[in-house]
Amino acid sequence: MIDLLGTHYNYLVFVALVGIGLYGVTASSNLVKKIIGLNIFQVGIFLFFVTSGYVDGAAPPVVGHGSGPYASPLPHVLILTAIVVGVSLTAVALALIVRIYDAYGTLDEEAIREVQLND
Amino acid sequence: MTAVSTTLAIVLTFSVLAALAAILLRDVLNAIIAFAAFSFGIAVAWVLLAAPDVALTEAAVGAGITTVLFLVTIAKTVRPSGERLLESVEWRSVAVVVLLVGSLLATVRSLPAVGAADSPVATSRVTEYYLQNAYPETGVENVVTAVLAAYRGFDTLGEATVVIAAGVAVLLVLRQEAYV
Repeated sequence: MIDLLGTHYNYLVFVALVGIGLYGVTASSNLVKKIIGLNIFQVGIFLFFVTSGYVDGAAPPVVGHGSGPYASPLPHVLILTAIVVGVSLTAVALALIVRIYDAYGTLDEEAIREVQLND
Repeated sequence: MTAVSTTLAIVLTFSVLAALAAILLRDVLNAIIAFAAFSFGIAVAWVLLAAPDVALTEAAVGAGITTVLFLVTIAKTVRPSGERLLESVEWRSVAVVVLLVGSLLATVRSLPAVGAADSPVATSRVTEYYLQNAYPETGVENVVTAVLAAYRGFDTLGEATVVIAAGVAVLLVLRQEAYV
């Protein structure tokens, strides 16, 4: 396990971020913090992708000036798209949270459940 | 034998600590500030991983727009008063997380080392095709831009559709005079 720290550190960080994100989504009772957890989970997966395209000593994939090696451009393209889609989803989720606060007067999961039971 | 550079390791460790703080801090404003620090650290990590396009997007969108959205949300809602600094630990969630992390850790050993020149992605035919032909075929020096705007242009159109749909959804959800 220790030897992996040197060679696979990025992947270990990916696992850590996914774990932290999942903990945030499931354990926080505050809805805003659930969304923060979702974002951390997402960035963990981005790290996995971008790391997979990296080559030691590689230049960014801007060709025409020097010579390689270049990092693989494919993961970068996928992750660029994923970041934009991710922020769109965050915006919709936060808009829903603002409406939930309007309707229930709280952002606490347990309190919302109690209000629903009382109705 | 390749090894992760010390700078990258420090930046990634900082990011993990910031993420941990974002989840564990009880006050939502503190959590958002920790999340912004996390996004910043990750943006620096993208630069070190030779992905400047992703770094720019992360800094503008992740650390910028997302943080502003979170701040607007807590300005429009309530910020729970934090009598304690940290959240209490939720053991059922810890059990689920340990399960996921354990199964993921079992796979890490099978992955190629970080930065290995013979990794499947780096030697993929598609990667080589784009790196060799993107400039002659499209005249764009940045291969990421060439793929995004030329080769996979229709996918980018789909991405734009998602952004439009999200914008419409936000307007619909908040269609009260107080918000629009």
